[in-house]
Amino acid sequence: MKRAGPLAAFTLLVFAFMMYVAFPLAMMAGESLKAGGVFSFHQYASLFDPANGANSEAILNSIFVAVLSVVFSGLLGLCLAFVVTQVEFPGKAVVARLAILPIALPPLVGVIAFRFVFGSSGLLPRILQGILHTANPVLALEGIPGVVIVHVYSFHVYTYLFCAAALRNIDGALIDAAAGLGSRGWRTFRKVILPELRPALLASAALTCMSSMASFTAPLLFAGEKRFLTLQIFQTKLNGDVNLAAAQSVLLTFVSLGLYAVMMSVGGTPQTARGGKGVARRGVLPVPPILRRLLVGGTFLLLLAELLPVAMIVLLSFVREGSWTTQLLPDRYATQNYLSLLGERKMLEPLLNSLLCAGIAVIGSILFGVSAAVLASRAQGRFWGKAANIILTLPYAVPGTVVAIALIVSFNIPRWWTGGMGLVGTFWILPFAYIMREYPVVVRSVTASLETMDGSLLDAADGLGASAWKRFRSVLLPAIAPAILSGAVLVAIASLGEFVSSIMLYTYASRPVSVEILAQLRQFNIGAASAYAVCLMLLILLILWIPSFLGRGGSGRENVTAMMDSSF
Amino acid sequence: MRGASAAAVLLVVAGCSGSGRSPVVVYSPHGKEMLSAFAHAYEERYPGEEVQWLDMGSQDVLDRIRTEKENPQADVWWGAPMTAFDQAEREGLLERYVPDWDSAVAVGEKSRHGYWEGTFLTPEVIVYNTARVPAADAPKDWDDLLAPAWKGKVIIRSPLASGTMRVILCAMILREIGRGGDEEAGLSWLRRLDRNTKSYAADPTQLYLAIAREEGVVTVWDLSDVMIQIQTNGYPFGYVVPASGTPLMTDGIALVKGTKHPEAARRFFEFVTSRESLLRQAREFARIPTRADIPAQDLPAWIAGLHLRPLPVDYDTLAANEKRWMSLWDERVRGRGHDEQGE
Repeated sequence: MKRAGPLAAFTLLVFAFMMYVAFPLAMMAGESLKAGGVFSFHQYASLFDPANGANSEAILNSIFVAVLSVVFSGLLGLCLAFVVTQVEFPGKAVVARLAILPIALPPLVGVIAFRFVFGSSGLLPRILQGILHTANPVLALEGIPGVVIVHVYSFHVYTYLFCAAALRNIDGALIDAAAGLGSRGWRTFRKVILPELRPALLASAALTCMSSMASFTAPLLFAGEKRFLTLQIFQTKLNGDVNLAAAQSVLLTFVSLGLYAVMMSVGGTPQTARGGKGVARRGVLPVPPILRRLLVGGTFLLLLAELLPVAMIVLLSFVREGSWTTQLLPDRYATQNYLSLLGERKMLEPLLNSLLCAGIAVIGSILFGVSAAVLASRAQGRFWGKAANIILTLPYAVPGTVVAIALIVSFNIPRWWTGGMGLVGTFWILPFAYIMREYPVVVRSVTASLETMDGSLLDAADGLGASAWKRFRSVLLPAIAPAILSGAVLVAIASLGEFVSSIMLYTYASRPVSVEILAQLRQFNIGAASAYAVCLMLLILLILWIPSFLGRGGSGRENVTAMMDSSF
Repeated sequence: MRGASAAAVLLVVAGCSGSGRSPVVVYSPHGKEMLSAFAHAYEERYPGEEVQWLDMGSQDVLDRIRTEKENPQADVWWGAPMTAFDQAEREGLLERYVPDWDSAVAVGEKSRHGYWEGTFLTPEVIVYNTARVPAADAPKDWDDLLAPAWKGKVIIRSPLASGTMRVILCAMILREIGRGGDEEAGLSWLRRLDRNTKSYAADPTQLYLAIAREEGVVTVWDLSDVMIQIQTNGYPFGYVVPASGTPLMTDGIALVKGTKHPEAARRFFEFVTSRESLLRQAREFARIPTRADIPAQDLPAWIAGLHLRPLPVDYDTLAANEKRWMSLWDERVRGRGHDEQGE
């Protein structure tokens, strides 16, 4: 009797995972092995057909951009982490706080803001054109360099957060010892600090690479006629060739899963065991003054470049519609965009839709993620626990485009486990997709918190005769509540601005903010699009600060770092 | 339990945001000006209803309706080249509906079995920026677009999502075949166009902006949309009807199979294709009606003065090959113009 509850929960969980997560991916793989309705390897043959260069070009471009993104995000993130942890300068606290801004920006908003500033009709290239009197805008970002720079803008934050956390943990005694042995400067950095950073660098590199391969928005808006795997999937589907789109999706998934495996295998490496006693003193590497000035100057320049797009979006949100065509900056402003956004139901609906979808996604991810993490932690033996964990968090590595294709091929017809209705075309498909993409974040953060939990508490409760439910509610839940909260915050942020799978799955009734932003841009309502983007950013900032309001203390930055740490 | 009640609260919040009016969902590439004007007019006539329109490329519409086949979301599909409607009819995505005025539309400009009806004639034309290109220098025919003088000056609306561009590109392949070439000759022609193309615009608005802002100065597009841009935005656009003829495409309207609001769908269909509406579309939105029972003298002068020479296009061949040709274009033409030798 005592084990009936957990057993039922376990069965339910396996069922849910098989039917809602594994099934769509398996269906997609099935579709990729069909041509004209019969079994065939035709799609894969055409993927790698040398006569048809399009697919291989897309694959190569995606990989090339991923490599460049990893290198430059890594360098930038590392420098930033180094400056913030190792160098004292005025305004450092503000810098450390603002440096995470790019992850608070939903991908679509970031890319669009970037285009307003650095794109071929953007502010800076036009200013340069004016100064230099050239026929065309100068240094306009386009094509592959454009995509890479957008990626670096968003993804360097991963390296920054991971490395900053690792750098803060470096024992001062190590650096002192190195200095005592006659090593300083570059040599100490290379021989002492870099090895300490290795796990952080590898994990963030894998995460960056994965995010870059899955990136859809940046290529969509910056790549021009260059091909990318994610775009190729979207366009193949548009051309009506679902089987080939499925094959392209399977390929992208495998690449992504491989990178995820790398990330998981290095991310969990424990820090170097230390011989020191007591609380370690923060280690600070002495930096030559010239380098110091260079680094600090560079940091402020970087910050400026990071803030400019956001400032531009805020500015554009006040633009009077249709007034900005060829001027450098718009010359007529009004609050009309915000008024109509909040006053007209049609305009407000996308915001409400996104809030609702994100709300459902948070609830769903918590229900599924927490029960999955708790049950996996009870697995017999370390191997099974780890295996369960890896399987449960795999969907994190599935790109949004692929999730959309998988859901479309599986749930476009009624299934009994979706309540006898075809989910495609309904409101529910969006929260469903968000949950599928984001629940692993909850699993990771709860698992991390369970690993550090004192198991004897549960044993004690057991010994005192508490029921399984009572043990969960009175002992386990309070212990993992902070982890649930951080997971929920990350799910909410990601879902609110989700674009990649939304664009393929939305309907009029469920159109989310991100899709509406693109629609407004398509209609050249730059003001309305920017007003939506600003609302979205404000909502996200608000959500980021929830943990500190609830008394978990710490700044927004610390919370994000803690969440990212526990999530990956 | 707490989760469930929270979900219930959220649903109530969402429910409150509804208007209480019954919706008609319209998928259309006709652009916000025309869509919002007719949504507004329809809602005035039928106050209990609300037009919910989504503006997207006509291939996007086809893909969406295909994806939503088991659970249709749209009621009316307003606007796409007839080849797209033909495709949808073959795939069983449309609801049969024959309006009273069916006889006023010529055979060949509507479905043979009553699944869609032709609404407008859309000539595809060459468009140029009049501020940068004197009329005398503008390309006069399709082949002129390939001249080295236009290298890096052509902007093309990204063709995969656009019914208009799909028709133009396929018509160019058919034109080469008609001149005694084969499919390869057609692709080679398109590659030479690609060689002159500076960039592919993600949507029509980006196309207009790129030409107006002189990022490029020449494009090909449908006459009606160009006229609207000239009339409403004052963009410096001029157009040329290509000397060897234009693929004179019929644009249509259809009901979506399994529509959730069949009566409202039929009302909207009838409303936007009434004689009165077609006249307004001609005057304000530069659409050339297919209905023969509209007196020519009521139409704007430019329509009456239009001398259109149709490019002989075999639409059955076009329809049969469109999907394959467009994938060939995507694989072997886009971005590959520099591989092409010769003029």
